Amino acid sequence: MEFTRRQFMTLMGGSAATAVVFQACGVPPDEIKVQSSIQMPEDLVTGTDNWYATLDRLNPTSNGIVVRVMEGRAKKIEGNVDYPINLGKHNVVAEAGLQSLYDPDRISAPLVRVGDRGSGQWEEISWTDALSRLAQRIQGLQSTSGMAMVTDPVGSHLGMVVERFLTKIGARHLVFEPLDRVTLSAAMETAFNHNNQLYSQGRFVMPDFDIENAEYLLSFGADFLSTWVSPVRFARSYGRFRDSDNNRGVFVHADSRFSVTGANSDKWLYVNPGREGLLAQSIAQVIISEGLGDPESVRSLTADGSIDMSHLDPELVSSEIGVEAGKIRQIARDFASHRPSLAIGGGSAGAHTNGLSNLTAIYLLNYLVGSVGKKGGVILNPESPFSDVMPASSGASLDEWSNFVDEIGRREVEILLVRGADPIYGLPEGVGFKDAIERLPLIVSFSGRMDDTASMADLILPEHNYLEDWGTDVPNPGPGYQMVGFQQPVVRPFFEHRGIHHGTRNFADVLMVLSQVLGADLDLSADNFLEILRDGARKIYERGRGVAGDKSVGDFTDFPSFWNAVLQNGSWRDEAARFDSTAPIPPEFPSSIQPPSFGGIDTVAQDVFNLIPFASASLSDGSGAHLPWLQATPDPITTATWRTWVEINIRKAENLGIKEGDVVKVTNGRGNFVEALAYPHPGISPDVVSIPIGQGHSSGGRYSQGRGSNVLSILDTKRTEGTSALAWAATRVKIEKTGRWMRLPRFENTAPELAVDEGGHIIPLTSGD
Amino acid sequence: MVTTQEKKTEEKWGMVIDVDKCIGCQACVVACQSENNIPVNEEEHFNQRRPIQWIRVERYWEGEFPDVKARFIPIMCQHCDNAPCEPVCPVFATYHNSQGLNVQVYNRCIGTRFCANNCPYHVRFFNFWEPSWPESLKNQLNPDVTVRSRGIMEKCTFCIQRIRRTERESGRDGNELKDGDRALNTACVNACPTDTLVFGDFNNPESRVSKLRKKEMDDHHGRGYKMLDELGTSPNVIYLKKVDKEAKESSTH
Repeated sequence: MEFTRRQFMTLMGGSAATAVVFQACGVPPDEIKVQSSIQMPEDLVTGTDNWYATLDRLNPTSNGIVVRVMEGRAKKIEGNVDYPINLGKHNVVAEAGLQSLYDPDRISAPLVRVGDRGSGQWEEISWTDALSRLAQRIQGLQSTSGMAMVTDPVGSHLGMVVERFLTKIGARHLVFEPLDRVTLSAAMETAFNHNNQLYSQGRFVMPDFDIENAEYLLSFGADFLSTWVSPVRFARSYGRFRDSDNNRGVFVHADSRFSVTGANSDKWLYVNPGREGLLAQSIAQVIISEGLGDPESVRSLTADGSIDMSHLDPELVSSEIGVEAGKIRQIARDFASHRPSLAIGGGSAGAHTNGLSNLTAIYLLNYLVGSVGKKGGVILNPESPFSDVMPASSGASLDEWSNFVDEIGRREVEILLVRGADPIYGLPEGVGFKDAIERLPLIVSFSGRMDDTASMADLILPEHNYLEDWGTDVPNPGPGYQMVGFQQPVVRPFFEHRGIHHGTRNFADVLMVLSQVLGADLDLSADNFLEILRDGARKIYERGRGVAGDKSVGDFTDFPSFWNAVLQNGSWRDEAARFDSTAPIPPEFPSSIQPPSFGGIDTVAQDVFNLIPFASASLSDGSGAHLPWLQATPDPITTATWRTWVEINIRKAENLGIKEGDVVKVTNGRGNFVEALAYPHPGISPDVVSIPIGQGHSSGGRYSQGRGSNVLSILDTKRTEGTSALAWAATRVKIEKTGRWMRLPRFENTAPELAVDEGGHIIPLTSGD
Repeated sequence: MVTTQEKKTEEKWGMVIDVDKCIGCQACVVACQSENNIPVNEEEHFNQRRPIQWIRVERYWEGEFPDVKARFIPIMCQHCDNAPCEPVCPVFATYHNSQGLNVQVYNRCIGTRFCANNCPYHVRFFNFWEPSWPESLKNQLNPDVTVRSRGIMEKCTFCIQRIRRTERESGRDGNELKDGDRALNTACVNACPTDTLVFGDFNNPESRVSKLRKKEMDDHHGRGYKMLDELGTSPNVIYLKKVDKEAKESSTH
C-alpha cells in the first residue's frame, strides 16, 4: 500500500489511526514492539551505522567485504581493505549480495511438494517434520550408496563437515561447477606440480599471478578482468600494472572471443578456436631457437635438446593459428626481453578437446622467462594452514556426470541432496540429467531460493543467506601465503520472525542434526558449526603465528580477544608462511598438440559458426540472474541488459541480412536450439558467434524466470582429452533468422551523443612518451 | 566563538579519472545505485531510453576486426564551476554550494527538465516513474538518501551524504578530514577495482587529486584533460588520457 507524505501526515494526525498505518505497511508485529533502550543490542543505535567484516560468497573466489548495517538491516557492501585477496576492492557481483539477502522470492521455511514434480505446488512444514521425513527416507535406503550429494565447490570447515557426513553415511559427493576448473587445475598441476608439492590434503592448490609487478603480460582466453578465477584480485592487480608512474606494463591477449579482458589489452590477437596452445608452442619455439630463454629451463623443457620443435616455426604454423608469423615472432621476443613477464591461460583456451595441452603449453612459457615463483610471475601457494581443512574442491568431470546419469537410470540412486548448485540449469541437455532425475524417488534441495533444480525437488530445507551465516574460507588460489577468511552474520536471519520451526538454517548445522538423528558420529570437535569454527580459530591462536588485523597472534592475551579480532578484520594471515620448497623443475614440452575437434554441425557453410559461450560479467554462470541490479548491469562490450543476445560480426551480419534485435535461432544440429537477439559488433571474428551464459532459467523468482535463453543447454558433449571435462567451446552452430524482431534492452544510446567539437575527443589518446 | 570548521578554507571537491585504467567493469555503476537508492532500471526503462545511471561507463569502438579496440570511460556529473544547468532552473532547485558541488534540491524541483536539456554531459536524470521496490528489497535502501519521487530531476551528488556524515563525525571527534578516507570517498571510488577514480579536495594541496592535477594538468607532458573543455564549463572532474603505444596523438573518438 502506497502513501504520499500528505496522506501519511493526515493519518498520523489521529492517534487511533497509527496502528492501522503500521499494519497496512506490512511491518511484522514483532518489529514494532516497544523495546526498552536498556535491552537494545549494544551495536543497535538509531541513526548510527556499523560496518561488519564478512566474506562475499558469490564470486568464484571469496572476497573480503564490509557490510554497512543500520538498525538491523544491511545497507551497503564494500571491499574489506584488510582482506589479502581483494584488498578493499569488489565488483558488481559482490555489491549485489544485498539483493540476495532481501530477495523478495526467498524461501522462508521448509517446503514439501504437494503437486506433481515441478508444478510449483508446495506446502510449508516445520524443520522437525522436514528433518524427520528426510531421516526416515535415509534409514529406509536399501544400501547407503543409494544416496548422493551435489554441491558447489565447498571447502574449509564447511567442506570438512560435508565430507565427514558423506563418508559416515556412505554417500557419494559430486561437485558442480558450470565452467569447471578441472582442466585448468590439471594443466597447472602438469606445469608446476612436478615434485608433488602443490597439494593440500589431496587437493591441488592453485598458484597466484603477480600481474601487478609484471612488465609484460601475455594471456590466452582467460577473461580474468571479468569472471575468471579471482576477478577482483586480478582487476586490482591490473590497475597497478597500468600505473604510469611505475613503468606501465604491456599486455597482449590472444583469444577467439573479444572479451572485456581482450578489450583492455594493448594488443588483442584473434586465434582460431582451440589453437591457443599451438600459438604458445610457436612462441616457445622462437624463444628457444633464438636463444632468448632461461638456459636451465630450456634444457629441461626440451629434454636436453632432444625434443624437436622445428615444426613449430611461426612460418609453418601461422595459418593454422590465424596469427601472422611476424607478429608471433615479435611477441616471443618482447615476452622474452621485457621481464618479469607472465603468461596465463584459461577460459575458452582450455575448453576445447585439446584444452589440457593448450593450457599446459601456455603455462610452461613461464619457465622460459624464469617467472615461476618470482616477483611479477607465477606465485606458488603454500598448503592450507589447517591439517584437517581443505581448500575448495574442483568440479566433477563430464564423464562423472554421465556415469551418474547412468546410475540414476539403473535406479542405483534413490536420494539426491543438492546444495548451492544448479545442475539442471548448468549441464548440457545432451547429458540427459534433467530427464534422468525424474526417475529419482527423492530429491532434496538446501537452496534458499527456487532455482531450476530446487523447483524439481520433493523437499526443500532452505539454508541461510551468506550474510546471515557463519563460515570460513581458505581461498584457492590464495594470495601467496597462508590465510583464512572468516565469515560472520552481519544481520540476524531475515526470516527469524517465522520462529524456530520455520525460517532458514545453517547448512552444516542441518547436516549435524541429521547425523545425530541417524545415529552417525561425525567425530567433530563440537555439535554446532559456530563452535567448530571457534575451535578452528583456536588452533590458529595456539600456534601463535601470523596476524589478525595489525596485531600479531602472540600479542593477544586470550583467545576471545583473538576471535574478536579475526571477525573484526575478516581474516587471519601469515605472510611468512609461503611456498618454501625448491622451485619446481619444468616438465618436458608436449611435442605436439592435437588439433581441436568440434561437435555440433559438421558442415562448412556461410551460416555455421564456432560458438564461444562466456560467463556474463554480472550474472556469472547464471547464479546472479535473480538479482535485479545484476540483470540491469550493462554488459561491458555490448551494453546489453536483461536479455540473451548473440554477438556476431558486423560485416557477416550484413551479409546474412541480420540486424540488431533480430531473433535468431541457434541450433547445434542435434535438435537442441536457443533463441537470442542478434547484436552485430565490429570486435568479433566472422567465424565465431558468442552468447552469454546466465539467462534462460525455468524458475528462480520474478527477475529470472522465463527470461532469455540458456546457451549451456545446446552445448555438444565433447570432452577435453585427459580430463574428460566438458569442452564448452567446442560446439559448432547454425544461425537462422526467425523473422521476429524484439528491441534489445541496452544502455548504449540511452543518452544522446556528446557534442564534441571538430578535432575534440571524448577519449583522447597519448603514446605516453 | 569560531569553530574549527569555520576557520579553515572550505573544501572544493573533485575527481581525477584515469581513463587508461578503466576496464569497463560497471562496479562503480552498481555501487552508485546501491548507495543512492536509484530505482532498478527495468527492461522497459532501457527500451524507452530512460534508465537512470548517475555514473555510466561509455564504450567506444575503434577499428574493426581483426584490428579492433574498445575504450571505456566513466562519466558522471562534472560539478562544473560554470554549470550550464544552474542558471536555467526557474526555481533554484540546482545551485552551486560553497564546496564546489553542483547540488540538486529535490523538494524545490518542479520538473521542468531545462537543466537536463542544458547539460552537455547528459548526466541529469528525470524520474519518469514513481520508484518502486518489492517490500523486502526496501530493506536495503540507504536511510541517508532521499528516494526521489516521480517528476523530480536527479543526478550525481559526489555522495554528499558521505561527506556530511564524515564532517559531522570528525567535527564531533575533533579530527581533520583525511584525504582518501573510505568513509568520505564516493561509493564509486571505493568500488573501483583498478583505482581509475580518485576523489578528494582540490583546495588541499596535499590531497591525491591536487597532486595529480599538478602533475597531469600543469605540465605539458601530462595526460590531464577536461571533457568538452571548449564549452567553458570548468568541470571539477579531470580525466587522464588513455595510453596507447601505437597511437598518434590526434587519433579520434
